[in-house]
Amino acid sequence: MQLTLKDIARMVGVAESTVSRAINNKPGVGEDTKQKILSIAKQFNYRPNQLARGLANKQTNMIALFIAEMKSPSAIEIISSIEKAANQAGYQVILCNINHDLAKEKAYLELLDTNQVDGAIFAGGQLADEHLIKASLSGENKIILLNRLTEELLLPSVITDNSRGTYLATEHLITQGAQRIALLTDENESLIKEEKVSGYQKALEEHAIAYNQNLVIDSQGSREAGYHAFLELINLSDPPDAFLATNDLLTVGLVEAIKMGGYFIPLDFLLVGYGDNLLTSIFDPSLTVVKEPYQELGQKAVDFLTDSLAGKKLAEMIVVLDPVLKIRKSSIKN
Amino acid sequence: MANVTLKNVTKKFGDFVAVDSQNLEIIDKEFLVLVGPSGCGKSTTLRMVAGLEEITEGTIEIGDKVVNDVPPKDRDIAMVFQNYALYPHMNVYDNMAFGLKLRKFPKEEIERRVNDAADILGIQPLLDRKPKQLSGGQRQRVALGRAIVREPKVFLMDEPLSNLDAKLRVQMRTELSKLHDRLQTTVIYVTHDQTEAMTMGDRIVVLRDGVIQQVADPLSLYNEPKNVFVAGFIGSPAMNFLDAKIVQEGDEYYIDGHGTFKIKIPEDKIEKYSVKDYVDKEVIFGVRPEDVVDANITHDFDVTDYNSFVAEVEVVEPMGSEIYLYLAEKDHQMIARVEAESKAQVGDNITLGIDLRKIHIFDAETEEVIF
Ligand SMILES: Nc1ncnc2c1ncn2[C@@H]1O[C@H](COP(=O)(O)OP(=O)(O)OP(=O)(O)O)[C@@H](O)[C@H]1O
Ligand SMILES: [Mg+2]
Repeated sequence: MQLTLKDIARMVGVAESTVSRAINNKPGVGEDTKQKILSIAKQFNYRPNQLARGLANKQTNMIALFIAEMKSPSAIEIISSIEKAANQAGYQVILCNINHDLAKEKAYLELLDTNQVDGAIFAGGQLADEHLIKASLSGENKIILLNRLTEELLLPSVITDNSRGTYLATEHLITQGAQRIALLTDENESLIKEEKVSGYQKALEEHAIAYNQNLVIDSQGSREAGYHAFLELINLSDPPDAFLATNDLLTVGLVEAIKMGGYFIPLDFLLVGYGDNLLTSIFDPSLTVVKEPYQELGQKAVDFLTDSLAGKKLAEMIVVLDPVLKIRKSSIKN
Repeated sequence: MANVTLKNVTKKFGDFVAVDSQNLEIIDKEFLVLVGPSGCGKSTTLRMVAGLEEITEGTIEIGDKVVNDVPPKDRDIAMVFQNYALYPHMNVYDNMAFGLKLRKFPKEEIERRVNDAADILGIQPLLDRKPKQLSGGQRQRVALGRAIVREPKVFLMDEPLSNLDAKLRVQMRTELSKLHDRLQTTVIYVTHDQTEAMTMGDRIVVLRDGVIQQVADPLSLYNEPKNVFVAGFIGSPAMNFLDAKIVQEGDEYYIDGHGTFKIKIPEDKIEKYSVKDYVDKEVIFGVRPEDVVDANITHDFDVTDYNSFVAEVEVVEPMGSEIYLYLAEKDHQMIARVEAESKAQVGDNITLGIDLRKIHIFDAETEEVIF
């Protein structure tokens, strides 16, 4: 006999949705009822068909991508890598631009609470706060973090080892003869910024170069901020001989300011920028940059999400990928 | 002071009541264990205390302050969960310092706290290592360390040991208890494992379907269970339950197992409890396997006609220092946990004595204890 959800519901005397919850191992069914349902299902060899299962779970085959901002080229890279990986896995992507606004993020969480999407990837931005942990734990939502840190390490995360990128860049500049390396940071990155600073500090330390607070400029992380950082640094009594910018917009503003001032790269200043994209590729000389592994990050985040949607236990909760240093002309003393 | 008080706390998911008007007072510095079968509402209760779950009805107080609307980070609590990960690219020190850096603690304070926690946990030599270079137990200690450095008033732990293998779990149990002695803070600990609950808790809360069944220290829970559920849940192998009837013969009262056994109820019990009200009524007779003895071995009580019965041995399971006997008599079945010197063999009909000081009867209708 081929049993339907309806039959089981009638036999146990519960609603069809309860049977579905029990069979799909979803919360909200008392233990006794669940056991009753499961034993009947087993007895009659009940197998939900794929379609019925999709309906019962309200599968949408949509995932939400919460992105911290959409101003930088790196955001575009993240979006396109996730979209590509998601499409390949049979999902469509809804884009939610958070614009560093927590209220906006909370509002967009509706998408998850009302089951309009199957899961979500949160890319970049501030520390993942309790509202995400809540959404994941008590809301039973599938949530993956990408380049976003959290204090309670309960959410599967894919992150870049940010200290590694600045470490490699700083070390490279030192081996090229730089002694006073300016570091441009983006205050919006908070913890990620601190990681970037720590990589820079570590390389200095290893080469016995004292850390000089005056050479570290924390800013809004915009193109203008990159420009102004240069003006500020060049007026120091002991100005830098090399620059390391930790996001792409800062890189652009910085290069513009250097050129505007009539200086030459790498003759007057060595420079390592951030992000390997259209924006940073248009300069002459070609820029040495720290390149984050966006393709892999996006792919891994989607893998995590599809695996958890399929109910698989993740082998590891946190994957850390290394950035690479693309060495070109701007950092090589000729 | 960090008492945690639950007043009529209820949690509903839609119509489903996951936690049902719980009242509970957790005393400052106490190690309190929430235990019960899967789905009984342990994690939900803990998450409400943590602030990770809205409270549908009732109030939760931490240190005399109602915290229903206080966000988790302002509750002076720290959580340790089962699937707690560490950042693989950070060393142990940075993993432990992470939360403090977030809260912008001064560098010296971070150093002091991380070092103190590392000392307490015995992981001082590991501070420079990456998580990959640690054993499972060491990683779990670091996860604890992340909570300890926050110096919270209350620790909330949800099955923190269940990812560890059996041997390590036993070892970590002891360590957690010692840790609690040293830290002198309130701990609320969730487990579905009654052994873990019994070995760790100052007091234990037994939950079933979101309802608190009993709150007591381990010994009282074991000796004076309030109902059939608690009696069956605590102790391993579980208490034997046999359906029976109370019968009166003259001044004496007996538990009559429908012809299978007949056991005399001690006089002190008759006076103290409402036994007389149950004459000719159905009850559930409960006796723990350790209180059923092989009559051929001498014990500190005499085996007479009134506290013994004969049963057939169906299975003999040697457990090293003791033997489990699986017994059957008519349609009653039970387990006895007897000394290793017992000569009982499969197929034997042996006489078993029951320690009348330890027996229980429960109302068959309500399953509440009579004594
Ligand atoms: N978000 C939710 N929506 C609906 N029901 C839920 C939700 N979270 C939990 N439940 C239900 O509430 C009940 C209690 O769940 P809880 O996780 O507290 O159980 P538990 O005692 O911790 O179980 P376990 O030992 O399996 O961890 C369960 O029946 C569960 O299915
Ligand atoms: Mg649980």
